[in-house]
Amino acid sequence: MMNGRLVIAFRDEEGAVGRIVGLVERRGFELRGIAMSSDLPGDCGATGHKLTLDVAARDASRRLDVLDLQLMRLDGVSQVSTIAAAMESVS
Amino acid sequence: MARAAAAPDAQGNPAPVSGARLVVEALEREGVRYVFGYPGGAIMPVYDALPGSKLKHILVRHEQAAALAADAWGRVTGEPGVCLATSGPGATNLVTGIANAYLDSVPMVAITGQVATHLIGTDAFQEVDIFGITLPIVKHSYVIRRTEDIPRIFAEAFELARSGRPGPVLIDLPKDVTVKTVTPEPFELSRREPVAPEASAIAHANTLIAEARAPILYFGGGVAIARAEAALHAFATRSGMPSVGTLKGLGAIPTDAPNFLGMLGMHGTRAANVAIDDCDLLICVGARFDDRATGKLDTFAPRAQVIHLDGDPAEIGKLRRAEVGIAGDLSDILDQLTAVPAEAGEWFAECQRNKLRWAMNYDAPGNGVFAPAMLKQLSEAAGDGAIITCDVGQHQMWVAQHCRFIRPQAHLTSAGLGTMGYGLPAGIGAILAEPDATVITVSGDGSIMMNIQELATIRRYRLPLKILLLDNSQLGMVRQWQELFFEENFSEIDLSDNPDFAEVARSFGIEAFTIDHRSEVNGAVKRLLATDGPILCHVRIDPRANVWPLVPPNSSNVQMMEQS
Repeated sequence: MMNGRLVIAFRDEEGAVGRIVGLVERRGFELRGIAMSSDLPGDCGATGHKLTLDVAARDASRRLDVLDLQLMRLDGVSQVSTIAAAMESVS
Repeated sequence: MARAAAAPDAQGNPAPVSGARLVVEALEREGVRYVFGYPGGAIMPVYDALPGSKLKHILVRHEQAAALAADAWGRVTGEPGVCLATSGPGATNLVTGIANAYLDSVPMVAITGQVATHLIGTDAFQEVDIFGITLPIVKHSYVIRRTEDIPRIFAEAFELARSGRPGPVLIDLPKDVTVKTVTPEPFELSRREPVAPEASAIAHANTLIAEARAPILYFGGGVAIARAEAALHAFATRSGMPSVGTLKGLGAIPTDAPNFLGMLGMHGTRAANVAIDDCDLLICVGARFDDRATGKLDTFAPRAQVIHLDGDPAEIGKLRRAEVGIAGDLSDILDQLTAVPAEAGEWFAECQRNKLRWAMNYDAPGNGVFAPAMLKQLSEAAGDGAIITCDVGQHQMWVAQHCRFIRPQAHLTSAGLGTMGYGLPAGIGAILAEPDATVITVSGDGSIMMNIQELATIRRYRLPLKILLLDNSQLGMVRQWQELFFEENFSEIDLSDNPDFAEVARSFGIEAFTIDHRSEVNGAVKRLLATDGPILCHVRIDPRANVWPLVPPNSSNVQMMEQS
């Protein structure tokens, strides 16, 4: 199974976290850990947020690189970094 | 920099206007002509602002139909269709239509009323969290908290709905936000620029095309989204390559083009499925390897290298690895694919032989109406400009197999969601989008009952829709599957207590007639097409008729079942 950590930079607006977390779960990944920080510099802008998710694929067909692109499709998501390995949980 | 329009005061400052007025002005600025909707409590301020505007409101009889009609408008015009409903049940009734647009990547802006801001979260009358309910089925969504934000958010919503891979955008409007008066604020709109294709990827693709001995073009709904039909057709013509289309792709290359082998997949042609199985290069354009098209995925095009072109980068490599994946403007990419396969002449000839060998057969025993033959005849008589909308079930597949399409916007079908009840509302949306076109809705006796109330809308606005209702008194596709894959254990498919559909149509004020014999088909087709106003032709067909060919579930596409 493909496990990993996603670090997602996104614009702070109503529903943004729900949209991101919901997409991850609907696309076949189990959420193992979650952490959020605010007001990132650089790409995220003055009101940027960063969400760090530890995820585990529910079956062998699920790929983190595909999930990465699906997250980038969301309006307000500016960057997704993926580390495809089992990580110590962020939660 | 944009600014919402409002009459200035004596000092030249914009006058305060209500949120509802800002909504109407925002829709007018986007060039919206029709709003499909149904009023109710929380959305009443917006309805109060509609009279005197440039917007024409189409009062449907169920909110689901508003969303589905807006979907059809979006498919035909490429511009977002707009639907409007109140909070609570009005909003939830839109959900199926929003999901339909999401699954088929149709531009739409859905506007819902909401209880006043201070009541949100209190279980107020007609309060539901439509923002939360629709999160998985929208491209984006908003709850507008400040009246001043209305012009900017509407502009963003329309831009999002139509740009990139289109989709539905929801705007939830609390009642107090639409009542409050404010002075409009200027706003700026950012746009995402399309990414130019990489030259190295184009070169690699051209190399693969030049070296291919058995190439095939596999195209889908993404071609219509990108309005890339001309570039696709030009590519197919200069390369000489045979092609197959998905359900949503039909018409992107005319279905009677010599090198078009037909629809692929579960109810595709044998020539198309066999060609996919034998090809050594698969050029996928605006398609997504959907399970209804591929059958068992690991047996799909087993010997082929893949070139995958799509407007959406997230589709490339999602289900099938591509040797070359190129995301971007499809017309731009296709225009740069100039290589021609040098040694594929025998392959092209073989595909042609197979197309002739396995052509559809229109000879059927008996004197009853043979639906595929009637659809073929109606489609040909209606001509190139006609638009056909359909519902979901056996008749939907017969339309795909037997009707002629020269543009994808002429075939409106609920492909991704498979929404029974799509046909009539889609007919309404299509006929308003192209009032000069002959618009035909093909429905079944199961599907039409899901939105039959829209006959009232058709009558109210005198929409000259031609409705062909194929009635087998069954849920035909379910019956077919129970016959073939559930050992004839027929469960809950009997609809023999249907009403007299011609009488029902007449009770709505719509001309209608019934046929049940093959000799009546010619006259029925002529009458349908010659009638100026709306008309329904109710056709009784054999309840045992099946859709052939058929790929059984979890099978390779070449394991097709044929009529015995």
